Amino acid sequence: MSFTFRAGPNRTVQANLEAVEAELLAYLFGQLLDLLGPAEERASSADPLAIELGLADLAAEPEEVAPPDDPALARLFPDAYREDEQAAAEFRRFTEGELRAGKRGRAQCALESLPEDKGGRFDLDEEQAQCWLGTLNDLRLVLGSRFGLTDDGQEPGAELGQDDPLRAYVPAYHYLGYLQETLLEALPR
Amino acid sequence: MSTAPIELEQPEIADADPLRSADRPWTTVVWNDPVNLMSYVSYVFQTYFGYPRTRAEKLMMDVHQRGKAAVSTGSREEMERDVAAMHGYGLWATLQHD
Repeated sequence: MSFTFRAGPNRTVQANLEAVEAELLAYLFGQLLDLLGPAEERASSADPLAIELGLADLAAEPEEVAPPDDPALARLFPDAYREDEQAAAEFRRFTEGELRAGKRGRAQCALESLPEDKGGRFDLDEEQAQCWLGTLNDLRLVLGSRFGLTDDGQEPGAELGQDDPLRAYVPAYHYLGYLQETLLEALPR
Repeated sequence: MSTAPIELEQPEIADADPLRSADRPWTTVVWNDPVNLMSYVSYVFQTYFGYPRTRAEKLMMDVHQRGKAAVSTGSREEMERDVAAMHGYGLWATLQHD
């Protein structure tokens, strides 16, 4: 029987993709990694004297981060306080780096679990299945933002102009939604 | 050089007041957005908060129909943790002190 995701033994998920699907997903996972940007190098900024004095945590205190200009990134890393800019900035300063690293890590994990250059059947362990779930959702959030989706009733892509190259991504958005829904049904509870 | 005592910051004292935090707890609010799947939002409430399916679905429907739902309450620190976790899942969440 044909399937895309289904529950496997020992809390695994069995996946089954056509080569063209695997190719599209590898491309999209890579696009998400590009958008999230390279991993930060924080170790070099720690003050050796502070480490010696046992104040490493103090020395490694993250610098202030401005909210992302790109609306898609702003959707992935939203303000935690609606009416307190200062509290939102503090929250961002202490959480965004880790959040970004987490999203990057699971996109990388999803990419690596794809069978190379071809589709077919493959198994996802519990952690890999969670990487897929989060990454599929992040990709849909990014595309939804690019499409200008703000309200429930909007048809994805309806806001795009006739010649907008983003139109090519509308079927991918629907496909990612189908994958996420199917994966949710296959996940162990 | 003088040895002036270190001045404590006011907000820290206010936040540490047990009466105030007990009377007015902080709340994590999840807001509606047109992208997240209903099944996914319900799944997140079940897995992260450990809510039973019925409660998770009720909260998800509140988000969907009323535009938002208070999903957890507690100290400011706890709610910052919950909001960060929701952002990790891709849900649009904020915390507030009602």
